[in-house]
Amino acid sequence: MVSSLAVDITPSSKAFKLFFNHEQIRTMSRVKRRTTHPPYWHVLKNNQRDDEKISSDNLRFVREVIQDKYKNKSPIKGSDLGIEKTEWDPKTKRSGVIARNIGMQHMWEKDGKKIICTVLQVLDNHVIRYVPPEEYANSVIGAKMFKNRKPLGCLVVGAEATNPDRFTRQYCSLFNEVGLLPKKRLARFIVTPNAALPPCTPLTAGHFVIGQAVDVYGKTIDYGFQGVVKRWGFKGGPASHGATKFHRRGGTIGTGRDKARVWPGQKMPGHMGSERRFNRGLKIVRINMKYNIVYVKGTVPGPTNSIVQIFDTILPRRKFTEAPPHPTYFPPEDGTLPQEDIWDSSLHVFGSPSISV
Amino acid sequence: MAGTRFHLLSTFSRQFSTLNNVSTVQPKLRIDEIRGRRMAIFDKEYKRQQALIPRLEKIEVTYEELNDEKVTLIMNKGISTPYNCAQHINEQLLKRSVVAEVNGEVWDMHRAITTDCTLKLLHMKPEDLHQATLVNKAFWRSCSFLLGAVVESTFQDEISVCLHSFPPANVRSGSFVYDVQLNLKDWVPSQNDLRQIAAAFQKFVRQDHIFQRLDVDSSVALKMFEDNAFKTEQIPHIATKSSTGRSITVYRVGDHIDISRGPMIASSSLVGRCSIPAIHKLNSKLYRFQGVALPSEIHINHFAFGILESRARKLAKSCKDT
Repeated sequence: MVSSLAVDITPSSKAFKLFFNHEQIRTMSRVKRRTTHPPYWHVLKNNQRDDEKISSDNLRFVREVIQDKYKNKSPIKGSDLGIEKTEWDPKTKRSGVIARNIGMQHMWEKDGKKIICTVLQVLDNHVIRYVPPEEYANSVIGAKMFKNRKPLGCLVVGAEATNPDRFTRQYCSLFNEVGLLPKKRLARFIVTPNAALPPCTPLTAGHFVIGQAVDVYGKTIDYGFQGVVKRWGFKGGPASHGATKFHRRGGTIGTGRDKARVWPGQKMPGHMGSERRFNRGLKIVRINMKYNIVYVKGTVPGPTNSIVQIFDTILPRRKFTEAPPHPTYFPPEDGTLPQEDIWDSSLHVFGSPSISV
Repeated sequence: MAGTRFHLLSTFSRQFSTLNNVSTVQPKLRIDEIRGRRMAIFDKEYKRQQALIPRLEKIEVTYEELNDEKVTLIMNKGISTPYNCAQHINEQLLKRSVVAEVNGEVWDMHRAITTDCTLKLLHMKPEDLHQATLVNKAFWRSCSFLLGAVVESTFQDEISVCLHSFPPANVRSGSFVYDVQLNLKDWVPSQNDLRQIAAAFQKFVRQDHIFQRLDVDSSVALKMFEDNAFKTEQIPHIATKSSTGRSITVYRVGDHIDISRGPMIASSSLVGRCSIPAIHKLNSKLYRFQGVALPSEIHINHFAFGILESRARKLAKSCKDT
């Protein structure tokens, strides 16, 4: 969730104004942009060796044992979870949600204007554990985050339940306390203590409100090794008029006099993409409660079918003015089903009479 | 070797220092001394048997490969083992072979061949069902043997450990077994104890000990096991059942020597993942140590292995129940 750059370039920071200083740009391209290995305190997740071929009878038996073990742990009603009734205030930070970007869809406003939307499916999220503020401030990330600030709590949420035989024993032991099937994906959400949730709480699309602004965090599309034109936007050279072997190259890389070397951070071809980014302030225009789908106006980092995290926005002018489902959404206890497909008021609902201008 | 055993003792003694139900101490020879004595007798007998061979005679060993191709090897009578034959053929065979079949009879890899014969080398994943059962039984038997070796050395010096025996390998029981007499009144092993024994087992197994076989006269065997009351009782019975009426097969793994009938696997490094899920109390002093292990070649996920462990926790009943 925290920006991985050494300098905070969110619009509210001072560094944002310095960004177009060329010295700064050169320093920016030196910053370590991605790590491909997990942090050292993570447990080993995937099996290191392939399983021996087990006979089909035995496989069926193992599946039966797994089903027996986990069959009683289905999502339970909100009232049974023992959630304390806490008050929402504008300074509350709610949990986020893990979703998958399943594609894009055009929508039209009532005046006929087309808007591009990204369709995000909220996966089977369950809260794994809550770490209270005092404890979280002692962890590696927590210490960095709350160095000179008041500490907040941390909710560990998991999505995409899978069979335990895909993972190592240490990874599955993370879920033993809650008694849930191991999740493929885990995420941390920083919450204020009044928005804490007990383990096993399900999070659905109803967690969000139509018209609210969200920040979506994901890993950008991986373009691989790219040249300088695509990666840094260089102009390259002329396509014709006698240009010999100079169409997409970088050109000069230094003055030759000043410093007499290539400056660190010189823009050159290299790996592009696969970086963690936030797209902030995206408006939710449609929610489908039956399939747990959220339609978000705009684009989201990452390719189709990638996992993203959705948070309530931090942009100050788009934050909540009235209470959202706090701490999260629970289906009504009198058994009435919620409305299946909820559209924003400004949107033209598909199937209704056509727009005439 | 002594250095590592001291280390094994020290890791376990940390755990047992909190026990308050240890019965009165009997003065007993320390395990190292007992083992040293047994090894001396073993080495002496081995040298004596080797010296009986007057001169090197050659025998023809026909090795049958998987696709029925035959390779003829000229080996030394009474000295060459199936392991030596494999050394002439292939490194993969050396690493993979568990047990050999000499003229259709199951044979240890490090046991000397005495006649012209046909040789087959069996590995951990044979296609033939009959071969698979043979290999499986040898594996479980060896695991029981290794369990005895480990249990003998993992208890504190004050506790007298007397290995009783292990029943024949029974896969259906769910675990391999060793019965041990401990002079502990009511010992309920904790999870940590079980894990420590399993860790000691893994450590021992990684040291890659060869299962050395020796056929000895029952008098020599009685001298070796004179400190063990149970073995002294069993040796005459076993000797009468043998072909000559007086011989006992004795195996040596590292520093540990014990009696066992059947063929064992080639080396302890063939044992991979293992766990000691339960220790049941049979009667006033006899404890049944139960374990489950997989060959190092075969790997299954932790959940499936957990199912095997939970099965091995149940008391393994054998026809030889005391």
